[in-house]
Amino acid sequence: MIEAIELCKQFERGVREGRRTRKEEFWAVDHVSLKAEPGEIIGILGPNGAGKTTLLRMLGMLMTPTQGSVRITDGAGEELTELTDKKAAIGYLSGNTKLYPRFSIREYLQFLGELYGFDKTHIQSRIEEIFRVLDMEGFADNRIEKLSTGQMQRASISRCLMADPKIYILDEPTLGLDILSADAIINFMKKQKENGKTVLYSTHYLEEAQFLCDRIYMICSGRIVACGTPEDLMEQTGCSSLRDAFHAIYEEEKTEDRIQAGGARG
Amino acid sequence: MRKVKTLVKKEIRDILRDKKTLVMMVVVPMLLYPLIIIGMSIGISMFMQSQEDQEHIVGYAQKYAEVVSRLEELYKENQEELDWQITFVPSRESSEEDREAADVWMEMKWEPGDVELETERKPGNVELETEPKSGNVETGEPLHVELLYSSAEESSLGTKRVLEDILEKYREELLLENLAKEGLDETILYPVTYEATDGASLTESFGMDIGGSIGMMLMVTILLGAVYPAIDSTAGEKERGTLETLLTLPVTNFQMILSKFISVSVFACVTAVLSVLSLGGSVLFLIFGISDTMGEQLQGISLGAVLPYIPLLLVALIATALLATALCMCFCVFAKSFKEANNYVTPVLLIVMFASMTAMIPSFRLDYKTALIPIVNVSLMVKQIISQQLQMPLAALTTVVNFGYSILIAWILAKLYDSEAILFSDGFRSFRLFQKRADIKAGTVPGIGDAVISITVVLLLMLYVGSAAAVRLGGLAGTAINQILILGVPLFAVWYMKSDIRKLFSLKRPKKHTVLGSVILYFGVYCLILLTAAVLTNLLPQSTSNLQEAFVPIVEAPFPLMLLVIAAMPAVGEEILFRGFLFGTLRERLGRPVLAIVISGLVFGAFHMSLVKLIPTFLLGVLFACIVSETGSIYMTMGLHFLNNTVSVLAMKYPEETERIAPIFVEESLSLSEMAGLLAVGAVLTVVGWRLLKRKVRV
Repeated sequence: MIEAIELCKQFERGVREGRRTRKEEFWAVDHVSLKAEPGEIIGILGPNGAGKTTLLRMLGMLMTPTQGSVRITDGAGEELTELTDKKAAIGYLSGNTKLYPRFSIREYLQFLGELYGFDKTHIQSRIEEIFRVLDMEGFADNRIEKLSTGQMQRASISRCLMADPKIYILDEPTLGLDILSADAIINFMKKQKENGKTVLYSTHYLEEAQFLCDRIYMICSGRIVACGTPEDLMEQTGCSSLRDAFHAIYEEEKTEDRIQAGGARG
Repeated sequence: MRKVKTLVKKEIRDILRDKKTLVMMVVVPMLLYPLIIIGMSIGISMFMQSQEDQEHIVGYAQKYAEVVSRLEELYKENQEELDWQITFVPSRESSEEDREAADVWMEMKWEPGDVELETERKPGNVELETEPKSGNVETGEPLHVELLYSSAEESSLGTKRVLEDILEKYREELLLENLAKEGLDETILYPVTYEATDGASLTESFGMDIGGSIGMMLMVTILLGAVYPAIDSTAGEKERGTLETLLTLPVTNFQMILSKFISVSVFACVTAVLSVLSLGGSVLFLIFGISDTMGEQLQGISLGAVLPYIPLLLVALIATALLATALCMCFCVFAKSFKEANNYVTPVLLIVMFASMTAMIPSFRLDYKTALIPIVNVSLMVKQIISQQLQMPLAALTTVVNFGYSILIAWILAKLYDSEAILFSDGFRSFRLFQKRADIKAGTVPGIGDAVISITVVLLLMLYVGSAAAVRLGGLAGTAINQILILGVPLFAVWYMKSDIRKLFSLKRPKKHTVLGSVILYFGVYCLILLTAAVLTNLLPQSTSNLQEAFVPIVEAPFPLMLLVIAAMPAVGEEILFRGFLFGTLRERLGRPVLAIVISGLVFGAFHMSLVKLIPTFLLGVLFACIVSETGSIYMTMGLHFLNNTVSVLAMKYPEETERIAPIFVEESLSLSEMAGLLAVGAVLTVVGWRLLKRKVRV
C-alpha cells in the first residue's frame, strides 16, 4: 500500500520583472493526499505542468517533499521507515529513467541484483525468468545503446521487475510508443494488478485510462480537482466518456480560478 | 559499503567502456611525455649534430694571413676536442659580401696599446707601436680581434665560441713565449689563481630548469585524466537520462556521490601513476638510450638520490588527483550535458594551468606559505624533488594540505549532490561565450561564467603578450599593451554576446548633484586608503626600493606619455573591465548590489597581484563600484581613476616636488598625528560624500 499524506512540493522559478529576474516560490504539488491499495491501478490525469511528474517522483522517493509524507507498507502491512527500503519496494519507470547505454541488459540486471543484495544463484534465476517472460533472450547481451525502441521499453520493464517490487509507479509509460509496445505495457500493468501489486500511473491517453484504471485522480495546478472511478467521474459531470469528463472538470476549474483571481483583485 | 562497492564497480566499468576516456587516461600520458621529452631532445641533438658536421666559414682580411695561419694550426691541433668544423677563408677586399658569407668575420687590427703599461713591462716595445706592421706578432704589439657574429644563428654562435677558445689558446701561447723570453716564471702572470666550482650539482640546476615544467605537465595530465570521467559520471549521466534511474535504486545520495568520487579518483590516480611511470621511462630512455650531450648531462644525475622520492611524489600526486577530481565534479554536477560541463571545466583547467605554471619561475620555491596553495604546492614539490632540494616537513605539509583541500571540496560536492535543485536542474546558462554568436539574442546580459572566463583570458594574455612586450619594448609599452588588452577583451566579449553596452557598462552622464558627492567621497576614502597603506607597510616591511627600481625606465619617459599610459589608459580600460563588465554582470546576475560591489572590489584588488597593494586596491575597487552603483555612471569613476593615477604619476616623476608640496603621498611611514589626521579627515569626508551622494534631489 502506498499513501500520500498532504504532500507538497515547492519550487523556485525565475520571474522576469523588467530587467531583473526575481525568484518566486510556487507550489508544484499542493497538499495532495491519495492512497493506492494492492491489486489496484490508479491513474493520475492532468494537463502538462499540473505537477503529475513531481507527484510521482515524490511517491517514488526520488524527491523529498517540502511538506507531508509518503507511507509505504510491505506485504505484511508493516510500515517501511528506511529510505532505501522504500525505494526497493517501488518499481519506478518514466521517460527519464534510461539505462546505461554502454552495458548489456544482462550486465545491468546483474548489477541491480548485486545492489539489492541478492545472492548469485537468485540473480541468475531471476534474470532467466524475466528474459523468458518478456522474451528478451535475443538481445540480452547487446549493448543497450544498440537496442530498438521496443526492445528498450522491454529492457526498462525488466529493470523494474528485477527487484520484484510491491508497487509500480509509471510516469507516462505509453507515451510515444506504437500500438504493439503500448499494448505490451498495458498488459504488463494488468498482469501486475492480477498479481496483487499496486500500480500508479500517469497518462495523457484518456481512453486508455478509462478502461484500465480502478480509480483516477485528476490534478490541476498541483491540486487534486477530482477523484473516483472512471464511472464516478463521468456520472459527476454527466458525460459519456472520460475525455468529456476531463474537459468539463478542467473548464470548471478554470472558471473557479478566474473567480478567485477576480475576488482577490476586488 | 557493499552497495558502494557495487556502484563503484559499475561506474568504473561504464567509464572504461568509453573509448574517449581511455585515450585521455592512458594514451595521453603514455605518449605525451615520451613525445615531448624524447622528441625534443632528439630534435635538439639532431640539430646539434648537423651543426657539428657542417663546415663553418670564418672570414678574415688577406693581410692577416700570417696570424690566422697560426690560429688554423691551433685549431687543427685541438680539432678533436672542439668538435666543430671550421674553415678559414681569406678575403682580398674584405667586401661586404665576404663578411655576409662568413659565419663569423674576424676584424683584426694592430692596436697601439697602452704606452705606459707597455713601457713599464716591456720597455723595448715602445718604438714598435708607431707603425702597423704586416702582422709580426712576435714584436709584442697587441693584436685586436673583433669577432662579428650573429647570436640569432646557432652556426654563427657556435663558431664564435670555438674561435674564442682558439684565440684564448693563442693568447696564452704568446704570453708564455714572451715570459720565457724575459726569463720569467708563469707565476709572475698569475700571482693568484682561482677556479669557480658550481655548487649546484647537475641535478639541482637541471631540476630547476625543467623541474618546473615537469610539475606543470603532471598537473595538467592529472586534471585531464580526471576531467573526462568526472564529466561522464555527472553531466553524462544527466545527458543520457540515467540519473533518474540511479535515483530509483535503493541507495542514498551520499553513497552515489561517494562511489562516483571514488571511481573518478581511481581514473585520475591511474593517470597520475601512468604519468610518473611514463615520465620516468622517458628520462631513463634519455639517459641510457641515446648518448648525446643531453644524455651525458643527465647521466650526471644520481638516480639513487631521486628514487626515494618517487613514493612521496606518488602520494602527493594522488592527493592532487583527489583534489582535481572533487574540483571538476563540483563544476560538472551543475551541467546538464557534456558540452555544458566542458564549458564549466575549461576555466578550471585554465586556472590550474596558470597556477602550476608559476612553478616554472626559477626563484619560486616551496616554503611554509606556498605549501598551503593547492596545485601550486605540488608543482613546486615536483620541481624540488627533481632538483633534490626538498625538505621533508614541507613535503609532508604539502601532502596533508592537499588531502585536506580534497576532503573539503568533496564535502561540498556531497552537499551539492544532495540538492534536488541541482540534480533535477536544467543547468546553468552561465556561458554565452561558447554559444554560436548567431544564436545569441541582442541585449543578452553576460553570465558570471562569461565574466570569469574573460578575466582569466585577460590575465593569461597579460602574462604572455604583456610581459613579452614589456621585455621587448620596455616597461611603458608593456603597460600600454596590458591596458589595451584590459579594454579589448571585455569589449570583444560584449560585442560577441550582443550585450546592451550602455546599460551593462553604465555609460550614462552622471547627474550633477552626484558629482560633488562622489568627488568628496573619493577624497575621504582616499585618505583612509593612504592610512591603511601606511599601516600595512609598517606591518609588512617590504623593500619599496625594488619597486622603484622597476619603475626607472618608465619614469624616464616624457611626462605626457606617462600620463597617457599610466593614468588615462587604466582609467578607461580598468574601469570598463572591472566597473563596466565585471560589476555590471555581477549586478545583473546576482541581484544583490552589495555582493557585486564586494566581489568586483576583491577581483580588482587581486588583479594587481601584490600583497601590499591588495587591501588598498580592494578598497579603491569597492569605492569605485559603489560610486558606479549610486550614480549609475562609469564616467564618474573614470575621472576619479584618472585623478588617482595622476597623483601616482606625479609622485613617481617628480618625487622631490611632491614631497615638498604634499609629503603625505611619498612618505613611507607616517607619524601618529598624521595618521590621526588622515583618519579624521577621511572619516568626515567619507560621511559627507556619502550623504551627498545618497541625497534625493527634489525635482
